[in-house]
Amino acid sequence: MSTRVGIIGIGQSAFRPRRDDASYPDLVREAVTLAMHDAKLEFDGIDAVVYSLSPDAMVGIGNAERLGVDAVGGRSKRFLRINTGGATGISSVAAAYYHIASGACETVLTAGADKVGECGDSQTVLNKIWDPTYERQLPLGTISMLAMSAVRYMDKYGMTEEDMASVVVKNRWQAAKNPNAHLRKETTIEEVLASRYICWPVKLFDCCPQSSGGGAMVLASERYIKERNLDAVWITGLGHCSETYYLGDRMGNHQLADHADAYALGQSFKRAFKMAGITDPVKQVDVAELYAPFSNTEFHSIEAAGLAPIGQSPAMMREGQFRIGAGIPVNPSGGTLCTNAIAVTAMIRVAEIALQVWGRAGGHQVAGAKRGIASGNGGDHQFFGTMVVEA
Amino acid sequence: MAYVVQTGVIGAAIMPRVTGDRQSLEEILYEVVQRALRDAGLVIEDIDGIVVAANDQYDGRAISVMAASGSVGGVDRDILSTPSAGEHAFVMGTLRVATGQYRTQLVVAWSPTEAGSLPEVQRLAADPYFHRRLPLDEMAAHAMQANALLATMPALAELAARVSEKNRTNGAAAYPDLAGAPLSARAPWPLTPGTAPISGAVAMVLASEAFAAERGVAMARIAGMGWATEPAFLGDRDLTTAPALEAAAHQAYGEAGVTTPLDAFDVAEVADATPYQELLAYEALGLSPRAGWAKHIEGGTFGPAGTLPVNLSGGATCLNPVYCTGLIRIAEVARQVLGRAGPHQRAHVETGLAHAASGDAMQYNTVVVLRRTPAPTSSSTNQGAAA
Repeated sequence: MSTRVGIIGIGQSAFRPRRDDASYPDLVREAVTLAMHDAKLEFDGIDAVVYSLSPDAMVGIGNAERLGVDAVGGRSKRFLRINTGGATGISSVAAAYYHIASGACETVLTAGADKVGECGDSQTVLNKIWDPTYERQLPLGTISMLAMSAVRYMDKYGMTEEDMASVVVKNRWQAAKNPNAHLRKETTIEEVLASRYICWPVKLFDCCPQSSGGGAMVLASERYIKERNLDAVWITGLGHCSETYYLGDRMGNHQLADHADAYALGQSFKRAFKMAGITDPVKQVDVAELYAPFSNTEFHSIEAAGLAPIGQSPAMMREGQFRIGAGIPVNPSGGTLCTNAIAVTAMIRVAEIALQVWGRAGGHQVAGAKRGIASGNGGDHQFFGTMVVEA
Repeated sequence: MAYVVQTGVIGAAIMPRVTGDRQSLEEILYEVVQRALRDAGLVIEDIDGIVVAANDQYDGRAISVMAASGSVGGVDRDILSTPSAGEHAFVMGTLRVATGQYRTQLVVAWSPTEAGSLPEVQRLAADPYFHRRLPLDEMAAHAMQANALLATMPALAELAARVSEKNRTNGAAAYPDLAGAPLSARAPWPLTPGTAPISGAVAMVLASEAFAAERGVAMARIAGMGWATEPAFLGDRDLTTAPALEAAAHQAYGEAGVTTPLDAFDVAEVADATPYQELLAYEALGLSPRAGWAKHIEGGTFGPAGTLPVNLSGGATCLNPVYCTGLIRIAEVARQVLGRAGPHQRAHVETGLAHAASGDAMQYNTVVVLRRTPAPTSSSTNQGAAA
């Protein structure tokens, strides 16, 4: 049997629109320093590093992880980089987990940073994820990609633009309690509906910001943690699953899954839940951080996580569920909708859940949280990673 | 540390040189994956997870792993991607099987040449404030490393030429139809013109020892694996040494119980983006200190008939799909250990050594020790099932 793997240190920046005061490696180092202090470790105590970085073009440096080697104390250590697009952060935590669960390492640092707010225009970069012949020239971006999902979800389940706005209002209210969140100003349904359309039905306030900042986590084996009597929370389940590359394959005949839903996210959660022994997530999960960069995608993510029946989450949101203090809070940190430094966004989902079950989430703590779930989405809504973290 | 589950290679396919415009990237990947699956005697339904290594800059796509999703069989399946190096996909796949949470992994990497200029692409990987305007690309960094070595050993140019000659002779025998690609026009001093970058692809199938036994297939067991990196800035390194490679070798040899490397292996594939790197690797891998390079080269130790043939495939000297060359080194050794290397198969290979390097002047280094585990006989398979 593989060893249990615990989280012993967490570091994250206070995410901002720009960080002119810090170079890209500086930003990585900022999060690493916080995580190493949290774990009370020196670099000599780290066996391996998993570097978390999504598209290189976002920081304007090819294979930018090479420049980050020193920022993570990686010299002459085991070092590799993970990239599954927006899911990169959670995939990196998973990769770090495998380093330890395999028996290869006792302690692993995973870290990264992004400067999305300083890349010029992230959508210009993200258009380059599509096939140059068939889909790039539409022109697709991640906003238009998920606006199409919103339209299909509206058609299938009756979601309204007001429903989408209610997600924004909830997450901004929660982000206001989180000092590390980027968008912390509370808003109203009216304000969201009055914001300009970016790609119908997605409006400006329905979109995540372009954030700059870093994230880092230190993982260790159960033996290492117990020998040193360290405080830790535990990764008890994880999974990954992928959908097709071509969006058209999610809309036409013979589709494996509908673009309205998050089929592979659901499959990924099934794998993580099976590993963690979760059979009824509504009863067994206390808190969730679900990667949802646009308001509409929080609905199908909630449903893929098994926290609501398919198509029912908008109605449950209208009843006031999924907020701190009601039912199973979703994205108590404010989530991706309020902070998106792409390379580490999905890592922050795991980190926030770890802080919640640790009882260290501060102003956005969910009372009594002992078991939480996290997810990350990457590519063109294509790669999905999920994780269960328990106290 | 001991791995939870013993892991090995049960299949591999190498397309070291893909020419012409007749196949799309997706078709190339589909072909190399299907060949690897056939080599392992598996179908895609047997694969529990996939690790893909792809490089955004070479591919001209952001998140270049995305395009592979369908053709590697990744839809509705578990994919990770290691863009740092092709060989890192092997590391990640091995770790996943070694947890006991996966029975099998498919590992895939490719290297396109559609980019107008690989050096231009590589220059974008240089630090934007200090190094990008030099301009610094991988060949320039490799040349600086060669120059640094020559500064300490002026007679090294002749030994380097002998290493290149050995690899070219090996490549002509191993891949008579493919080796001999056009020489690169650009060869920064003191390098001599080498083989131009080409397109290629490689896929490997990894499995747990129990899975291989259940299927009754031979395995190139991963007896030891190490990987390590040099720091970011060339100025922070002594380019005449390879401490990260030494660290990676230390990890791999420790796991495999290798104490005298020169006597431990029947065959080796070593990173040879330049012959100077192959020489440096001899030392860092513990095969020969630099004082012994001349003796071993003149004595033919690392030649095709030597006690430890190095780069029987011809190495990157002959066929260099830049981004997946490292994973190809591991695949070549796996095929030698499995006895399926083709024309350049060495007889009676039990243990092989693979070294992969990527980045400027060997920044990333991966070392793998593979040992033959024969296919179980039917009686031993039954015993295993009963146990």
